[in-house]
Amino acid sequence: MRALIVDDEIHARRDLERILDLTREFSAVATCGNAIDALSAIQADPPDVLFLDIQMPKVSGFELLSMIDPAHMPHVVFVTAHDEYAVKAFDRDAVDYLLKPVQQERLAAALEKLKRAMHEPPPAYRAPPLERIPCQSGTAIRLIDVAEVELVRCGVAGVFVVTASVELLTDLPLHVLEAKTDLVRCHRQVLVNIRQIAEIHRPEPRTAVLVTRSGKSVPTSRRYYPRLKERLGIVG
Amino acid sequence: MMLLATLVQTMSCLVCVAYVYAKSPAFKPWRPGQLPHNKLVLVGMFGFFTALSIAGTYLGPPVHGAIANTRAIGAVLAGLIGGPRFGVAVGLASGLHRWSLGGFTALACGISTTVEALIGGLVHRAAVRSNAPERVLRPWVVVATTAVAEVVQMAIILLVARPFVDAWTLVAQIAVPMIVANAAGAALFMSIIRDRIQTFDKVGAESAARALRIAERASSVMAKGLAPDVAEEIARIIHDETGVGAVSVTDTRSVLAFVGIGADHHRVGSSIRSESTLRAVAAHEVVFLDGVREVFRCPIHAHCPLSSALIVPLVVDGEVLGTIKLYEPANKAFLRINRTLGEGLSSLFSTLVLRSRYQEQKNLLVMSELKLARAQVNPHFLFNALNTVMAMLPITSQPRALLNHLANFFRKNLKRSNELATIEEELEHVRAYLEIEKARFEDRLSVDLDVDPALLKIKVPSFTLQPLIENAIKHGISEMLGPGRATIRVWRDGDDVRIDVEDNAGTYEEVKRAGGGLGLGLVDRRIRSLGHGASVEIHCLPNEWTRVSVRVPSAEAA
Repeated sequence: MRALIVDDEIHARRDLERILDLTREFSAVATCGNAIDALSAIQADPPDVLFLDIQMPKVSGFELLSMIDPAHMPHVVFVTAHDEYAVKAFDRDAVDYLLKPVQQERLAAALEKLKRAMHEPPPAYRAPPLERIPCQSGTAIRLIDVAEVELVRCGVAGVFVVTASVELLTDLPLHVLEAKTDLVRCHRQVLVNIRQIAEIHRPEPRTAVLVTRSGKSVPTSRRYYPRLKERLGIVG
Repeated sequence: MMLLATLVQTMSCLVCVAYVYAKSPAFKPWRPGQLPHNKLVLVGMFGFFTALSIAGTYLGPPVHGAIANTRAIGAVLAGLIGGPRFGVAVGLASGLHRWSLGGFTALACGISTTVEALIGGLVHRAAVRSNAPERVLRPWVVVATTAVAEVVQMAIILLVARPFVDAWTLVAQIAVPMIVANAAGAALFMSIIRDRIQTFDKVGAESAARALRIAERASSVMAKGLAPDVAEEIARIIHDETGVGAVSVTDTRSVLAFVGIGADHHRVGSSIRSESTLRAVAAHEVVFLDGVREVFRCPIHAHCPLSSALIVPLVVDGEVLGTIKLYEPANKAFLRINRTLGEGLSSLFSTLVLRSRYQEQKNLLVMSELKLARAQVNPHFLFNALNTVMAMLPITSQPRALLNHLANFFRKNLKRSNELATIEEELEHVRAYLEIEKARFEDRLSVDLDVDPALLKIKVPSFTLQPLIENAIKHGISEMLGPGRATIRVWRDGDDVRIDVEDNAGTYEEVKRAGGGLGLGLVDRRIRSLGHGASVEIHCLPNEWTRVSVRVPSAEAA
């Protein structure tokens, strides 16, 4: 099994790494100090199992789950320092949850469950809908509220999140954003925020050009326009 | 025999009057043995019984220059019901009237009517004295009293009327019919009145029982306060027990529950639109729309069948929480009994709300006591455990040093009083805390101290500095992806001493927006209590820095 440990505290990471090594069940163990790094790591090289802390800076463990491409979704074991944490809401989906510092015997029990779970694909985690999209802004990471997003488009350089004032690159693929937010596909390479549409122009009967509140034009394609029309409540 | 038949006819007339009287709104049930306090009512009663007695005189057939009569009914009943004085007054009035009509028995009848009333009165007094005033209502008591009174009358006629021979002839003829007719009439009359009193009693008892049932059912529900599901339950209870057309419960703005006719358009959660309800809420008063003079007009639906309404505000501690409304449709009158009951509900529910509030407070108190008990760790156990673990670790190891910092931190926490502490002591406390946090965050946390040594002896409220730096780490630096840097600066700013704690996260606005408490309330209160412009200020440049500045006038703090 290949594992990824995501925890913002270095000692907790090292400790769990050591304890995982002792079990000799893992062929590779990688670590990340926050959810943003973890997201890139999972996209680059999806692990079999994720040992996931919940309380982390900027993006929590729960939020991370809603950002992972379902195709790359690993099995999840929550690791937390506080037993009253809302993990219980997730324990039907998660393989297990462990209390820090992780004890060897307890980990052994979790591994038994994990081995059984490995025979099946990971469940669809009931992660909350994504409310903020992590974007690169220079060297920093900015979290953009989905409500502020006007459109998301896929270009040569990657996926761009467009708001009234900025245009930022994100690591999340278009189909993940479509599935995890209420942004609607209007073109093979574009998602649009219905609430940000100000005008609809109809150059042809089967497509339209949308204009956002800040005046940006958004193309639609014949394939996606009918569904979009339905969402907008347009008849005919 | 003919005479008896005539007298029975007369008596029937009087009994008929009794029936109409008892059914009329003028009839007020009274407690036997008590005369009404209201003078007007008393005069009315006097007039009624006197008229009854005089009617007995007029309706009677003349016999041998005298009148066979049922005058005794009014007189004896007046005595039985009103006591000796009231009876004598009626008897005298009726007697005088008989005397004025003349005939050889005029005087005898005048006297005897008064005496008969007196006999009724004496029976009344005897009943009251033996603590059983309701006995005067019993038919056999009435029959016996009237019969005795009539016998006495006959005797008086024989004694007073002259010539004796005529009197004897008269008495021989009228004695039996008059005794029978008067006794029977008085008894019938009284039994009608008794029935009415009992009916009133029964209705009263039933409504009291109903009120008690409502109270009992409601009090078990109201233990939870005035939540929407409770409101629904209450509306249902009132609807069940009173049988009115519909019942609703509202808070001051919207309908919490509606049960009964019109539930299809009186929706729960809709805002209050009826003006009368708003009036009841604003003026703290019961509003009654009887459906005749003032009609309830449904503000929602033009064809709503409800036309009368009683709106009772729920007042607790002088504040209106909401209303309870009882409605009847246009084809049904709003019963007076339900109106009284509805008004009583107001105070009942107000009491219940108060009780549930009290219960809530009591629960909170118990909870906080439990919390306190749980939070108390035996310090000896804690320090012994820490010492044991430290002794097991190599002397120069980092874990041992960390445990030592932890022990120091707890020791200072326990030792320090609520009073003032020097800035030096505050910094000591914070250092132990920071050593532990720096180990935890390692490369993600660095702390700079910039302290003017001249200010170390300045005193500030204890536990001022530690919560500030804890906040900077907990809500600021731990939420950063990159390296965090905290600065503690103690410096002289004119006449003031300033303690600034700054982090480079700049998350203050975010935390505040998310409703996160910064736990600075206590620090703020204690600093302000120093007076002389002592203050705590927070400045923030989002995503850049947050700075908490404590300002203490040096003259005060020194």
